[in-house]
Amino acid sequence: MRRLFVGSLIVGLSACQGFISEPGQEPGGGGSGSGASGGSGAGSSTTKDALVPLPRVARLTHAQWENTVADLLYLSAPTGKSSGFPADPSTGGYLFDHDASNLSVDQSLWGTYQRAAEEIAEAVVGDAAQLAKILPPDTGDANARARAFVEELGKRAYRRPLTTAEIDRHMLIYQGAAGLFPSKPAFEAGIQLVLTAILQSPHFLYRIEQSTKADGGAIPVTPWEMASRLSYTLWNTMPDDLLFGAAGANELSSEPQVEAQARRLLADPRADKVLQRFHDAVWELEKLDSISVVSSVFPDAPADLKHLAVEETERFIQFIFRGGGGYRDLLTSNVTPVTAETAKIYGLTGNFGSGWTEATLNPTQRKGIFTQIGFLAANSTGVDPDPIHRGAFLARRVTCIPLSFPAGAVPPLPAAGGKTNREVVASHTETEEECAGCHKQKINPYGFTFENYDAIGAWRTTDNGFAVDATASPLIEGEATPVSGAVELLDKIAESPAAHDCYARFWTEYAFGRSRVKQDDGVIRYLGQSSLEGASLEDLIVKLVTTRAFRHRSTEEMP
Amino acid sequence: MKVSRRIVLKGIGGVALALPLLESFRPRKAQAADPVTPPFVIFLRQACGVAAAGNTGEIGAEPERFWPKDYGALTADNVSGRALDELTDHLGSLLVVKNVNMQNFNYGDGHARGALQGLTARGPTVENAAGSSEAAGESIDHRIGAQLNPEGRDSLFLYAGANSGWLGGACISYRGAAQRRSALHDPWSVYQQLIGGSAGLSPEARQRLVGRQQSVNDLVREQLSTVMTHPALSGSDKTRLKLHLDAVRDLELTLTCKLNENDELKLQGDAPGFASNDGFQVVKTVKLHMDLAALAVACGYTRSVAIQVGNGNDGSIRYPDHETGQLMSNNFHYISHRRESHDANGTVIPGSDYLHHKVDRQFGKMFKHLLDRLSAFDSAEGQKMLFHGLAVWYNDNGNGPPHSANHIPYVIGGSAGGQFKQGQYLAAADSSNTKNHAKMLNTIGAAMGLKNSAGGPLDDFGDPSLPKGRLTELLV
Repeated sequence: MRRLFVGSLIVGLSACQGFISEPGQEPGGGGSGSGASGGSGAGSSTTKDALVPLPRVARLTHAQWENTVADLLYLSAPTGKSSGFPADPSTGGYLFDHDASNLSVDQSLWGTYQRAAEEIAEAVVGDAAQLAKILPPDTGDANARARAFVEELGKRAYRRPLTTAEIDRHMLIYQGAAGLFPSKPAFEAGIQLVLTAILQSPHFLYRIEQSTKADGGAIPVTPWEMASRLSYTLWNTMPDDLLFGAAGANELSSEPQVEAQARRLLADPRADKVLQRFHDAVWELEKLDSISVVSSVFPDAPADLKHLAVEETERFIQFIFRGGGGYRDLLTSNVTPVTAETAKIYGLTGNFGSGWTEATLNPTQRKGIFTQIGFLAANSTGVDPDPIHRGAFLARRVTCIPLSFPAGAVPPLPAAGGKTNREVVASHTETEEECAGCHKQKINPYGFTFENYDAIGAWRTTDNGFAVDATASPLIEGEATPVSGAVELLDKIAESPAAHDCYARFWTEYAFGRSRVKQDDGVIRYLGQSSLEGASLEDLIVKLVTTRAFRHRSTEEMP
Repeated sequence: MKVSRRIVLKGIGGVALALPLLESFRPRKAQAADPVTPPFVIFLRQACGVAAAGNTGEIGAEPERFWPKDYGALTADNVSGRALDELTDHLGSLLVVKNVNMQNFNYGDGHARGALQGLTARGPTVENAAGSSEAAGESIDHRIGAQLNPEGRDSLFLYAGANSGWLGGACISYRGAAQRRSALHDPWSVYQQLIGGSAGLSPEARQRLVGRQQSVNDLVREQLSTVMTHPALSGSDKTRLKLHLDAVRDLELTLTCKLNENDELKLQGDAPGFASNDGFQVVKTVKLHMDLAALAVACGYTRSVAIQVGNGNDGSIRYPDHETGQLMSNNFHYISHRRESHDANGTVIPGSDYLHHKVDRQFGKMFKHLLDRLSAFDSAEGQKMLFHGLAVWYNDNGNGPPHSANHIPYVIGGSAGGQFKQGQYLAAADSSNTKNHAKMLNTIGAAMGLKNSAGGPLDDFGDPSLPKGRLTELLV
């Protein structure tokens, strides 16, 4: 997963050298800020039924491997073995960690897979209670029992039924194991070697889609493949027995069948982690871990501000998701979990205990996730608000306006010297033509609307002795739109089709495991419109996984 | 594993007693089939530049704290007070090179430009992509391994630091354009990679492990081969499956790289593990990586190792302060910017130029550990292993602010079998600021034995637009 800390002196003050697309995004847009389509008019050439070639073999991410091993073997907790795996390289321009075209098995990873498989099989077979969870009943015929084991565990491990030839081949492994485990009875030895082999099989390590039969210009994935698409998208792990059962009964073919299973999966707590993982990446929540305020300026700030910010953000996302809320609620809800310490920052009065409780914040000051402590404090200098990074974030991740990076070194902001923070930033970034192109139109107007929030996220009305000016004209639907501050900005963004398209774009990239391409725009527009019309997060995700694109393969293959 | 030369542990010296794993580096069974010890290279990558002389807006005039005082012989006096005085014990084996300059490729960020160009001498696949950048070609460490390693083994790529942040963590080694390699983080995993299987096994148990792995590998190869015959499989899918198929290797029975059981247990207990931001843990990890890198080249596992410390901008590790014994208050990236910020905003960090120097010293201490290790082995020819290879401490940038692409620090230990000058501080002969960094990689690659397309010494590695050639002034 590519993380998005700002990297150097020269990206601190983003300037425009012309309008380029983000990696993975089509060039175009001409500065209109027109959201996911990049203003390319893609909607006219694509529909929500458009299909894009995808890899046929997708290696499990390390997190998926951990989850899958634990679920396959009914372990009480993940093994932790993947901590020794070489970390997968990130994919330039892709926010998540599961771009299949970038996930391979080299010598280093293969060696760690081998050792993990050996150790896990040894531990499972050496633990009678654990072994009993995956062994078929003992009918007195060891060979028959082993064959049933191969058939049953193999189906769950490979996420499809094994052919007779495959079962026979695994039985050869079983039968050849006796001399290789001299201290074990032949049956346990065989089971251990088969389990070791299964955990190293490409059919376990990869999600492999073999379907080729086209129907109506597209290739429907098989019910077994659909079960894996659903479970890895919504749970980040293998299908459960109910999902396998639906696949076996051919009940994952129609849209209503897929919807029913998707809603079941989303109701499970495992879906919370996926929601969190998605927003971690899109909203750069890792930045919250680096929140650091200058204590001499904020002597009353909680010592563990960053931890409080992280927990509030996680709880808020879950609160909206489980409460049936949608993207509009993430942007505009003024109800959020607070503790006594964060309540103080929010200017709340009353008694708040050490735990978390939901509170209603002042609606004239707070609207959604971007007026909460996490975003505001993570995008500050520790002393002052940071309108450049607040603004650049809104442009890139909320309205999907591509920004470029300046070509040369950028000098630091000058000292305030009797000016407001806004005045300092404006004078530094809006006077030179090279910088002003982006800052004046695309970055600063978003960021300046947040000037009422100080470096820890508290409301302020003065800055350096002057009244705060949070008015600006940020781009909404490609038009400079006057707003009085962040609250009005977020209200307008919440009604902006481009912003909902932007959010839908990231979900599409997540579900398809790759950066957006033009042909995705039909799906993105469909989802964006649904979100704009009030779809809950659950409904939005269900709509995504029931699209033709999610349930089929393209008849074209990747190069 | 076949061992092509005799490696014997140098007699106990001042260094050896201080290094807990050294004794166990003695190969269990030395062989002497080949009297010539081939050259090797171990790269140590530092980010964020060094504390060189300059003027910064935050601090003002910053004195020189890295480079030696004068060109010429490397003496204790010449490096006194500079970060390089951490290497005083090895000055006679060092070559310090100035005026090595990277190309100003448009990566959109000085860290991406340095980190991704450092071992590739390539520009980006997509210009101005900053933290989403990828290099447009293979790195020299991989080329050396791919062309020169025995039995098709990959070169080792080792990493210490968090697996996140700018450029996503490990980022300096490339298999090809935009094909970034994964790095091993955990020294225990690295060690098991060297010995080809789980540690702590008796010879009989290992024999059985070999049998089990052969049985499984046969199945896996069959399965992979079958999947690869699918008629609809894309070229991209096939390429990845082929890489996997090539990685399925039968376990070798020889165990020249094996530590004794006590030291295996010690290494397993010491290995700090995965993705740490704690400077103490990072330094410990780097030193263990160095132990294993020295072991790997000494026992013939690989001809090339790259050790990366910190992510793309080393933006989360707080290094130890050798004066206080505590971790510094800020991460290295902040210090290198002189501000509490990943960019040009943020509060100025008082004395951050000196803190930067202290980080340079930490790298100097780590590099010394590597030089000590390589000096503790004797080859069949009666030389220290360091003589036969190169240990290269280099940086992504030339300095702190503004992270120049010029004057990239190159501190080279060893001589690659007598090829490189030693005991000197010199400037590359090109005129000032000539973009000659690719020539440096060609010089190293050629010294390892790599060839150009015409069969001569390597001189065409890197971006085709860059000047071809080598820095022959570095050679004896």
